[in-house]
Amino acid sequence: MSKTAATRVPSHRATARVASTRARRTLMASFLSLTLGLLFTASPGLAQGKTELTVALSSFSTEVLDPVLGGHIVKYYLSMMFDYLVGTTPDGQPSPGAGLAVKWENSPDYKRWTFHLRKGVKFHNGDDVTAEDVKFSLQRAIGKRSTTGYAGPLRTLIQDIETPAPDRVVLVTKEPTLIIPTYLSRSLSTEGMVLPKKYIEASGDDVFARKPVGSGPYKFVEQVTGSHIKLTAVDNHWRIGVPKYKTVTFKLVPEETTRIALLRRGEVDVADVSRERVKELEKEAFPVHFRREEAILSMWYSFGPDGWPAPFKDKRVREAMNLAVDRAEIAQSIFAGKAEPAAIPMGLSWAFKDIGLKVTPEMAYPFDPVRAKKLLADAGLGGGLNMDLYAYQLPGLPEGKAFAEAVSGYWEKIGIKTKLIPVDYPAYRKLWVDRKVPGSMGYYNIANRDWIGTFALLEKQAYSPSKPNDTVNDPEVDGMIAQVLRQTDREKINGLMRNIYTRIRSEHAGVPVVYLHSAYATSKTLGKWNPGTVMYDLFFDQLASSK
Amino acid sequence: MAAEPGGRTVLVLPDVAAPPAAARRGRRWPAFSIGVIAGFVLLAVFAPLLGLPDPQSQSLRNRFKPPVWEESGTWQHPLGTDRLGRDLLSRIVWGARVSLAAGVVTVLVASAFGAIVGLVAGYYRGRVDATLMRVTDATMSFPVILLALILAVTVGPSFANVVFAIAVILWARYARVIRGQVLTLMELDFIAQARIAGAGAWRVITRHLFPNTLNTLVVLVTLQIGYVIIVEASLSFLGAGIPPPTPAWGSMIAEGREFVTSAWWASFFPGLAILLVVLAFNLLGDWLRDTLDPKLRQL
Amino acid sequence: MIRFVLLRLVQSLVALAILSVVVFILARATGDPLHLIMPMSATEEDYANARRYLGLDRPYLEQYFSFVGKAVRGDFGMSLRARRPVLELIQERLPNSLKLAAFAMGVSLAMAFPLGIMAAVKKGTGVDRAAQVVAVLGQSLPTFWLAIVLVEFVAGRLQWLPAAGNEAGLASYVLPGFTLGWFVVAGMMRLLRSSMLEVLDSDYVKLARVKGVVERRVVWLHALKNALIPVITFAGIYFAILVTTAIVVETVFAWPGLGRLAYEGISSRDFPVIQAVVLTTAAIVALISLCVDCLYAVIDPRIRHARS
Repeated sequence: MSKTAATRVPSHRATARVASTRARRTLMASFLSLTLGLLFTASPGLAQGKTELTVALSSFSTEVLDPVLGGHIVKYYLSMMFDYLVGTTPDGQPSPGAGLAVKWENSPDYKRWTFHLRKGVKFHNGDDVTAEDVKFSLQRAIGKRSTTGYAGPLRTLIQDIETPAPDRVVLVTKEPTLIIPTYLSRSLSTEGMVLPKKYIEASGDDVFARKPVGSGPYKFVEQVTGSHIKLTAVDNHWRIGVPKYKTVTFKLVPEETTRIALLRRGEVDVADVSRERVKELEKEAFPVHFRREEAILSMWYSFGPDGWPAPFKDKRVREAMNLAVDRAEIAQSIFAGKAEPAAIPMGLSWAFKDIGLKVTPEMAYPFDPVRAKKLLADAGLGGGLNMDLYAYQLPGLPEGKAFAEAVSGYWEKIGIKTKLIPVDYPAYRKLWVDRKVPGSMGYYNIANRDWIGTFALLEKQAYSPSKPNDTVNDPEVDGMIAQVLRQTDREKINGLMRNIYTRIRSEHAGVPVVYLHSAYATSKTLGKWNPGTVMYDLFFDQLASSK
Repeated sequence: MAAEPGGRTVLVLPDVAAPPAAARRGRRWPAFSIGVIAGFVLLAVFAPLLGLPDPQSQSLRNRFKPPVWEESGTWQHPLGTDRLGRDLLSRIVWGARVSLAAGVVTVLVASAFGAIVGLVAGYYRGRVDATLMRVTDATMSFPVILLALILAVTVGPSFANVVFAIAVILWARYARVIRGQVLTLMELDFIAQARIAGAGAWRVITRHLFPNTLNTLVVLVTLQIGYVIIVEASLSFLGAGIPPPTPAWGSMIAEGREFVTSAWWASFFPGLAILLVVLAFNLLGDWLRDTLDPKLRQL
Repeated sequence: MIRFVLLRLVQSLVALAILSVVVFILARATGDPLHLIMPMSATEEDYANARRYLGLDRPYLEQYFSFVGKAVRGDFGMSLRARRPVLELIQERLPNSLKLAAFAMGVSLAMAFPLGIMAAVKKGTGVDRAAQVVAVLGQSLPTFWLAIVLVEFVAGRLQWLPAAGNEAGLASYVLPGFTLGWFVVAGMMRLLRSSMLEVLDSDYVKLARVKGVVERRVVWLHALKNALIPVITFAGIYFAILVTTAIVVETVFAWPGLGRLAYEGISSRDFPVIQAVVLTTAAIVALISLCVDCLYAVIDPRIRHARS
């Protein structure tokens, strides 16, 4: 046979088949365009009327809604569902108008604290809020299984809790102390949250965690772990009147580009954003709220089993480490100018006013790599030394790894060979706390707070008896902290705190880097909002307040 | 129609080509692929001799400088700088070493181990085969990224961990495919002849089986190098990739991903590098398969 | 046939058993979850109590058998981080992952079919090349980068589609589904193309051409039908891959699926979650492989008998 193309005789069957193929194709095409049309005209997400508030966050820390058993840090959504015994203003000042306690007083010897409770408050399931609930909540908060951050001192101090009347609670402490109201307030952590005794005792902790019941302005609706938490407003609440938003939804959106896209699409009213993208948002006229000095980015040395590890035992080396870092440049570049150089390790500036500490220009570390090298040489380390720096990101510090790289760059220039070890923070924390990595360094963006909170932090991280978390290991500091615990004279306390910080600074017990301003971008229609200066709380209930 | 001794009839059909006839694929060399791969390999090998700035020297003041053709760009940094002021061009060239090494080493390790398993399983059959295949199945169903994350969290991220985590799952694929091939080969006459002639397992496997699986191996290896480079990038995104300050394309893209509109070059150029190299490997693999044995369609 | 299915079932179970040991060891190797849950002021005694409460102080062998025994009944224990039964968490998230994978599969097929057919029919021409490049492009871009670019431009700037979550109906699926699906288009397209080429080259088709059948009919009815089989069987495997590797897409699009669950589990050293997710995904892969193998065996009896 020849290699010609096969002769085709167009039969009527062939024509019919061609036609049916054509018909099939047209059907396919119309189906495709219909589907595409449907897809593209789909409504863009939730309708953002004025009755819904949606917040997109980069992390929820833990998602157990039990304020006491969840290993909690952030209180954004908890503060909406639960009331505190002692309320505060957005600036963290105790306020009788904002908490369940309308009045509190102490005995002359500061060992008995009496709280008078608001009348007529009910939990979301209808039960009344009484002194029994306060007692129950407090006992739970300082109990064995509690995972709250500041239960320690409360546990040591509280001797007894009395409930002489349904609207009165009396705390009896072993030693005279000033800290009780603040430790039970909104300004610190969740120990002061009042939980429903009957409900928890009847249903158990697990049911409570999955279906929490509180007395706050918002009720729990649903939670999809790893995705979102939905709350709905009560009709009227003593804290905020008639809530302006019927529902509040917290969405977990880890990727920043996505959070910003949601903001642009109007699907989200508030989003936390990294400092580097603030300019871009401001250019598009999105209001950006800053919590100035929301945290201090402070670095510390990991100890060995017997305290200070070899090269860093020498004060000169520690000073050199501080002089080698150009804080201003870091603030301008890595943190896009939304940061200020810090001078005191763990120096929580919101407390400075309270305790009367003035940070003088001499206390600020200059950028002096020449002098740093000389100090190293004086300490016998002219040939340089090796060091490990653990690098990780943290909630509120997406620039974590870049920051670690930047700092290591400065130290390399003065002969300190820095090895970057990327981990996630829990891994480093374990190594640090177990004292397995002496001579290495870590860092954290420590949330700023008032003087009592600051003392609580120092008691954790600057106090040798607190063993694992101590980063200072200084008998003088230990002595001063122990005194504060027993002191009731505010002036004396202030003096002690000032001395503690001055000593920490003069001993270069760590490397303070910058104070971080945190940025929260909002939709253009949100209205006035004061996120406040209370750690891990953004006062969304204030946004919803009609008072 | 033709008749053969033995009475079997074979239908011989004329070679009627389907219209339109085109040049046979496989005759044309994949110039693009070879060019790109050779180019990057050369860059990687000769990186130290190119007189580029130190890829790890930071200068925060110079962060996010744009490429030379933009307004504030300079020839000092032709492709701009990254978040810490490091020269992007230099990082891409030095990163070629890391990323290509990661791809090649992982694939070689995985294919070597996988091929051995496949050959042994296919040759011995029976219990050996069953056991090995169960282990292979178990391995294949473990998600690569999860394993790499677990390793990163346990021992900390490193180049070795990335290679190990991927190779330890990838070998299963090779094992499966090679085993399939070996099973088919074992049915063939020349294997039986070799065994009758007294050849031991080692000889049969190395002399007769292995060379006939080389084609498949070559195709698979080429196709998978690109895959490994992409996985490394995803791992960097999740925090389990090759750790800083080592320049690696994946981690460069991950670092620059927040600045897609503001400092687009920081993620665009490493992304382009990955795109070109992986595309080249994939197209090369396709060509190899078409040339060596189009029947390898399941790859 | 039954024998074949049973055999494959047993094989899958053995593989899962092996996997359970491996993941048990790996999960525990990640570290101590207590450091994340316990407050900083916890004492040694507190840790001991917590360990006892969570059953972490029993010998490993006992823990393993307890884990397996319960897992077989569907009880994966309590998440250490979320304090909820792991089974609940999986029940919440698995459907989301499956639905996304199904959509992505649809996208892949919708792209692979026209590309593969065009490439096969116009073999060797520019069209063939172009189709190849489009398909391979999906495998040559880092997934997260593509995802972020789509979120930034298509969702954020142009605002055509949702940026995150799965609450806006079908529209939510488009971007994540496309990102996920494009990754496997190349494989499918290659398969389709090669199968079609092989069939087009086969004696059967040559005979059809000699008989003078119209070319279009040759392509659509004869070649495509036969080339579909390997593609369908591999679609099953790809589906399994999509379910298990969606973690990057889930992170960028805040999609509440299994991938994210695993990531959170690993970050918080949440053993029960890690174990459960790995076993679940392995079981899915095994189940799909089983179905696919059975399908293949039904179609091609040689396979049924050759294996054992």
